[in-house]
Amino acid sequence: MDIFLERLFDGVTNGAVYAIMAMALVVVFRGTGTINFAQGEMALFTTYVAWWLTVQGQPVWIAALVAAAVGFVLGAVTERTLIRPIRKRNDMASLIVALGLFTGFNALAGLIWNSESKNMPSLFPAGQDDFTTVGGARLYFDALGVWLVVIVLIGAVFFLFNRTRLGLNMRAVADNPESAALAGVPTGRILMLGWGLAGIIGSFAGVLIAPLSAHQLGLTTMFPILIYASAAALFGGLDSPVGAVVGGLAIGLLEAMITGYVGFVGGTLPQTAALVIIVFILLFKPTGLFGTRQMERL
Amino acid sequence: MNSPRLAVAQGSARHRALQLGGLALVALVLLWGAAQEPFRVGQLTSVLIFAIAISGLNLATGYTGLLSIGHSAFFGLGAYTTGVLVVTYDVEPMLTLPVATVLCFVLGFLVGLPALRIRGLYLALVTLAVGVAFPELVRRFTDLTGGAAGMVIRSKQLAPPEWTGLSLGQRGVWLYWVSAVTLIAVLLLVRNLTRSRTGMAMIATRDNEAAAASSGVHIASVKTIVFGLSGAITGLAGGLFAMYVGALSPDGSFTLLKSIELITGLFVGGAATLYGPVAGALAVVFIPYYSSDLASGHLSGIIFGAVLILIVFLMPEGVVGVLNRVMRRFVRVTPTSPAQKKRKTR
Repeated sequence: MDIFLERLFDGVTNGAVYAIMAMALVVVFRGTGTINFAQGEMALFTTYVAWWLTVQGQPVWIAALVAAAVGFVLGAVTERTLIRPIRKRNDMASLIVALGLFTGFNALAGLIWNSESKNMPSLFPAGQDDFTTVGGARLYFDALGVWLVVIVLIGAVFFLFNRTRLGLNMRAVADNPESAALAGVPTGRILMLGWGLAGIIGSFAGVLIAPLSAHQLGLTTMFPILIYASAAALFGGLDSPVGAVVGGLAIGLLEAMITGYVGFVGGTLPQTAALVIIVFILLFKPTGLFGTRQMERL
Repeated sequence: MNSPRLAVAQGSARHRALQLGGLALVALVLLWGAAQEPFRVGQLTSVLIFAIAISGLNLATGYTGLLSIGHSAFFGLGAYTTGVLVVTYDVEPMLTLPVATVLCFVLGFLVGLPALRIRGLYLALVTLAVGVAFPELVRRFTDLTGGAAGMVIRSKQLAPPEWTGLSLGQRGVWLYWVSAVTLIAVLLLVRNLTRSRTGMAMIATRDNEAAAASSGVHIASVKTIVFGLSGAITGLAGGLFAMYVGALSPDGSFTLLKSIELITGLFVGGAATLYGPVAGALAVVFIPYYSSDLASGHLSGIIFGAVLILIVFLMPEGVVGVLNRVMRRFVRVTPTSPAQKKRKTR
C-alpha cells in the first residue's frame, strides 16, 4: 500500500508539471492554432535565468518571479515579431519558426551558461527529512509544494479565462478572430498577451521541475517535459485547458504506474507505453478527451 | 504576367536538349564530388543519404500534408535492419537494403492506420509516439541491437564488391556512388508518383480533405500507402546511413532531434518540390559545419536557428521553390496536348 502511495505521489507530481506545461501549449494553440515547439526551450532559458539569480545571492522566490517576467517578455516579443507576420500564411511556417527558436534558445542557454548541469535550488524545503507520512508513504514537502503551485496557477488561469474581461477577450479571439475584431477586441494585443501568459506558465513549469529532475538543470531538461506536455495537451484536446490538466495528470500517473507495476515494460519503456495508450484512446476520441470537433465549411 | 524570355514546347528538340544538358550537369557534379578528398566525399555521401531520407518525408509531409515527427524511427529501423543483418547474420550489405525498405513500408503502413480516424496535429502525436518509442525499444531488446552500448559494423564487412575493382580503403567512394544512384532512383520515383493519379489524390488530400473525398479520392488508402512509401524511402536512407557511419547507437542518430533535422531540411529546401530535399540536405549538413567553423559549439546552434527563421521570412517556398519561380520567368515549358502530339506523329 505504501509503495502504491509513493508511486501515486510521484505520478501526481510529475503529472502536475506536465499539466502546466500543457496549459501553456493550449493557451498558445487557442490563439494561434499551432503547437509552440519552442515553449520548452523558452522555459529552459528562463529557468537558467532563475538559476543565475540564485547564484547571485537572490532568494529563489524572487528568482522565480523574475523568470516569469522574462518568460512573459520572451513570449510576447516572439508573437509580435516572429509569429504575427507569418501566421496568416500557413501553419507550417509558424512550425518552422518554432523549430528555429527551439534550436536557438537551447544554444543560447548553452552559450551563456555552458553545458554543465546546474543545481537549481527548490522553492520549498527539500531536505532528506522534509516529509510527512501519509498511510505509511513519504510525501516530501517539495512535491507537496509543486501540487500547491499548480493548483494556484490553474485556479488563476481559470479565473482569468472565466471571470475577467481580458479572459473573455482571449476566448473571443480563440473562438472567432474576425468577429472578435469586429466587436472591438484588439485581436493583435490579445494574441501577444496570450503568448506572454504561456511564457509565464512555462517558466513556472521549468522552475518547478528542475530541482526534481534526476539530471538537475541541463540543456536537455525540458525536452522530455515538452514531449509529455504536448502528448498531454493532445490527449486532453488541444483547445481545452481542462483537458490539459487531466491529460497531464493522466500521463504522469500512467508513467509512474507502468514503471512500477508492468514487469515486461519495466523502467525501460515508460514513455513508449504511456504514448501508446494515449494513441489507442485517440482512436476512439480523435480530438482528445475534451477537444471540440472542428467544423469545416465547403 | 510577364512573358518569359524563352518558351519551350514540351517534347520539342529544344526541350530535349535542355533536359540532356541538365543530366550532363548532374553527372559532372557527381564526378566532381567523387574526385574530392576522402573527408569531403564522406560529407557529400551524407548529403546524398539525407536527401533520400528527406525525399521520403516529403511524400508524407510535403505532398500529402501529413506532418510526421517520427521519421527518425523509420531512419533508425532501416539502419538497425542493415546493422543487425550484417553483423549478426553476415548478410551482404547491399542485400539488406531491400529488407530494410520492406520493413519500413510495413511500419509506415501501420503508423498510417490511425490516420483513418485521427487528423492534423493529433496525427502528429501518433508519429511522435513512434519517434519516442524507437530508441527505447532499441535499448529494451539488447540481445538483438546491442542496447544502449550500440553496435559496430566492422569495416571489412562493408568492403565494395569485387567487380567494382575498388579496394577496401575506397569503400567511401563506393558508398558515394551507391547513394547517388539510389537518390536518382528515388527522385525518379517521387517525380513519377507525384505526376500520377495517386499524386493528384495526395495533393488533393492535403489541400482539402473533405473536397477530395467527395470527388472520389479514397482518403484512407491514400494516407496509409503514402505513409508506407514515405517510411520505406526514409528507411532505405537509414540502411545506407548504417553503412556510412558503421556504428549505431539508440541515442546517436535516431532520436526526435533527427526528425526535427529532417523536417528542417525539408522546409529549407522547399516542401512539395522534387529537388527541395537535395537542397535541404545540403543545408542540414553544411550549415552546421560551416557555422561551427565561424563560431564554436553553441553559437553555431544559434546561427542555425536564426537561418531557419530567416528562411521562413525571406523565402517561404524554400530554396528550390524560389529557384523554380526565378526559372519560370526565363524559361517556360509549355505542355503539348495529346491532340498535338498525335498530329505530329502523323
